[in-house]
Amino acid sequence: MSRLELKSVSKAFGTTLPADRLSLAVEPGEIVAVFGPSGSGKTVLLRMIAGMFEPDEGEILIGGRSMVGAPPERRGIGMAFQNFALFPHMSARQNIASGLRGKAAEVAARVQAISRLLKIEHVLGHMPRELSNGQKQRTALARALIGSPDVLLLDDPLRNVDAKLRYEMRLELPNLLRRGSSSVLYVTQDYREAMAIADRIAVLIDGHLEQVAPPEDIYARPASVAVARLFGDPSINLVEVTPLAEHGALSAAISGARVHLGPAGAEPPTAACWLGVRPEDLMISLSAADDAVPARILAVTPIHEKAVLLLRLADGTEWLAALPPDAPYTASDASVFVRFTPEAALLFDRASGRRIELSHRRQAA
Amino acid sequence: MSILQLLHTSPLTGRKARPRGRWLPYLLSLPALLVCIAILVPFVTAAAYSLQRYRLNLPYLRGFIGVDNYIDFLSDPAFWNTLRISLVYTALTVILELLLGLGIALLLRRPTRFHNAVSIVLLLPLMTAPAIAALMWKLMTNPGFGILSYLVSLFGVTDFKWASDPSSALFTVVLVDIWVYTPFIMILLLAGLRSLPRQPFEAAALDGVPASFVFFRITLPMLAPYIITASLFRLLDSIQQFDIIYAMTQGGPGDRLMVFQVQAYLEFFQYTNVGRSAALLMILWLITNILSNIFIRNWLRLRARAHGQA
Amino acid sequence: MEHSSLAGRIFRGIALALVLVFFMFPIVWIFLMSFQTNEQILRIPPRLVFEPTLGNYAALISGQLRTTAGNLEISFVHNLWNSFALSSAAVVLALLLGVPAAYAFARFKFKLGETIAFTLLSFRFAPPLLVLLPLSLYYQDIGLNDTYFGIVWVYQLIALPLILWIVRGYFEDISPDIEHAYRLAGHSWREAFTRIAVPLAGPGIAAAGLLSFIFCWNNFVFALILASADKQPVTVGALAFVTASGIQYGQIAAAIVLSVTPTLLLALYAQRYLVEGLSLGAVKG
Repeated sequence: MSRLELKSVSKAFGTTLPADRLSLAVEPGEIVAVFGPSGSGKTVLLRMIAGMFEPDEGEILIGGRSMVGAPPERRGIGMAFQNFALFPHMSARQNIASGLRGKAAEVAARVQAISRLLKIEHVLGHMPRELSNGQKQRTALARALIGSPDVLLLDDPLRNVDAKLRYEMRLELPNLLRRGSSSVLYVTQDYREAMAIADRIAVLIDGHLEQVAPPEDIYARPASVAVARLFGDPSINLVEVTPLAEHGALSAAISGARVHLGPAGAEPPTAACWLGVRPEDLMISLSAADDAVPARILAVTPIHEKAVLLLRLADGTEWLAALPPDAPYTASDASVFVRFTPEAALLFDRASGRRIELSHRRQAA
Repeated sequence: MSILQLLHTSPLTGRKARPRGRWLPYLLSLPALLVCIAILVPFVTAAAYSLQRYRLNLPYLRGFIGVDNYIDFLSDPAFWNTLRISLVYTALTVILELLLGLGIALLLRRPTRFHNAVSIVLLLPLMTAPAIAALMWKLMTNPGFGILSYLVSLFGVTDFKWASDPSSALFTVVLVDIWVYTPFIMILLLAGLRSLPRQPFEAAALDGVPASFVFFRITLPMLAPYIITASLFRLLDSIQQFDIIYAMTQGGPGDRLMVFQVQAYLEFFQYTNVGRSAALLMILWLITNILSNIFIRNWLRLRARAHGQA
Repeated sequence: MEHSSLAGRIFRGIALALVLVFFMFPIVWIFLMSFQTNEQILRIPPRLVFEPTLGNYAALISGQLRTTAGNLEISFVHNLWNSFALSSAAVVLALLLGVPAAYAFARFKFKLGETIAFTLLSFRFAPPLLVLLPLSLYYQDIGLNDTYFGIVWVYQLIALPLILWIVRGYFEDISPDIEHAYRLAGHSWREAFTRIAVPLAGPGIAAAGLLSFIFCWNNFVFALILASADKQPVTVGALAFVTASGIQYGQIAAAIVLSVTPTLLLALYAQRYLVEGLSLGAVKG
């Protein structure tokens, strides 16, 4: 069982830089999700690790051994492809067994075992074209898993399967992937998938690793505005503010109202900032309060067992709030007041986009 | 762009970090490279021969004479005859095959089972060896028992000598060429016709546009790239035609069908004049190059236009 | 846009019938001739109904041809065998040389590959004699003249470009991921090539092989220049037949039928791929 380690790996194609000094380590038995918008370099990263092409700079180590120049077949890697990449001229059984060597009976037993685990025993004799997308995907997974590889790479394996199956697999996958204590790198474009499956998430934006952290950290303490925007549906509300430190307390003006952001701390941030609040952290009330922002409900939509309210603040800013579906504020055009606790506020530096650690949260963390 | 970036983006850096597999594509294509060389060496040799006085029967006279072989052609009526007959043969075959091929492709345009079967059957002449096709027609045009001679005699044309008469020899070999190669044009144009987008035709039908307008203003322009491609292939083959003419008449009667390659063949094997033969072939090569260049340029222009209209 | 008027339909029907007659008649007629005796052939007017004879084929196979000047010994079966051996060997060699190269051209973008592919394609349009005549002199020098190997080597000029261009397209259609998946399963590039790429491009390789076989079989000028009588394929052999005086016409017709049958059958078998092969992929442009 071997650790996967990337050391400042870079790769350029023409003028684009899909990998910019990427450093990352995946421990045996750990699942790290590589998450990022399309075109951020996720696939390039996987392919470099798999040895389909070499990085321009940096090193890739598996079990401490440098993989530079090593052909794909000698890297101890199992990989599941987004388009499955099954061998069309081989049966599901032959596909799964393609990487195994040894006695026929032994091979058959292992194929049988992994197929039982993935519930595809009944289609082992089928050719890929006779399989449903879900079966193809399970066959591809079985093929990647069967050799108990040191490193397991999964390139958006749930992209091409239907919603129901994706939901089931999200529950099943973590156990499957941890079986062989491989170091797992899981590429996905779906933040919920990343959060459901991974021990840690590596957020890749424009070939650059923005943040590597456990899912709950990424959600609660995103390293930057860009990361905050990528996680959450409906996505985070952002508003430009310039915080004010007065009498040891930090506050910000939002649409005319003054909102409390907790104690100011030793070095209060007073430069231009983005203030971010997750929709589910917004509280709605009908009565005015000291630090509540007046707003009007423009529309109410049920999304994912939540009622999502589109709000317009007095200065025209539009916010989204996610409430339990039985919340009483479901009338459009109603005037309401919006509040959030200081703990829910995320503050980002306008210039750099980096998050500013607020003093009360620092204590909490 | 900074120097660092340049280094980053240059293909060299990519290769340096990639020692394995770099030689692989070269290794794999080595045999093909050898064949290339095996073509290029004789080609360069031929170019050299064309600048020499080189007769196989008089080897001691061999020597460099510059472009004398070429200059000799200018005053040689045999050369002008060769040039003329080659161009006439090419023009006749390409134009007639194009018209006929286009006509047949239009007839078979709808992809019904019957039409597909016909288009497959029409491939058979194309798959017949041209030299053998010439023999088939030779048997059919035999003045004594040939079925075609008999058929024309029914129309009162007796004593029609086909390929053995100077006045009808060109007609006869062009007929054989048409028989063999029209299917080639037909197949390409049929593929082209069937790949055209439907919308312009449907729109024209809805608007009640007359059929002739549809044909000349929609079908032909959109088909132009295919027509040009098919003509180019035929043109280059036709100006180099050897098999049919050699098997039918060996360039005769007299020098009536003495096209380039037949003439060059005879110069080489009959008159053993290697220099002259090579010079003839170099001229032919030059002509094919000029023709294909003109065509490719027009092809690109027409394709751009057809795409603009589609 | 389809003219469905009665006059239009009749016109199209007649036109199609004429086309079919023009292109099929020679093949049918020579086929019929090959089953006729000399007397039947020379009869005027010709008759469509006759008592067929296998005598012409029997004479060809036995190699004893009846002529006006007595029996002549020409082994046409040997020509057939030459055609078969030369074309098959040429195609096998071209596949061995061409399929790996086509794979290299498809999978690796490298300059030399483009140059080779383009050179071969452009010489597809150069006058064959331009290469052949100097080559025949070289062949005499190095003793390759009138050898099977020498002819097979020259046939590469026909077969190799065809195979390179067709098979390359098929390789390009295979997702590289499939090969990558096989390599990650612990196989070398050679195994990925032979067990994944080649089987998946199989139909294309077969089609390219069949087409090159047809074109090699149909070639005339290469063997005319480089082969003596006992190495000649049917194209050259059949011509010698006609020029040899007094051979019975039915026997010539039978020789023609035997010469074209293999290619016509192959053509019908591989017709799906013919368009692509014939245009060397240029139609795709």
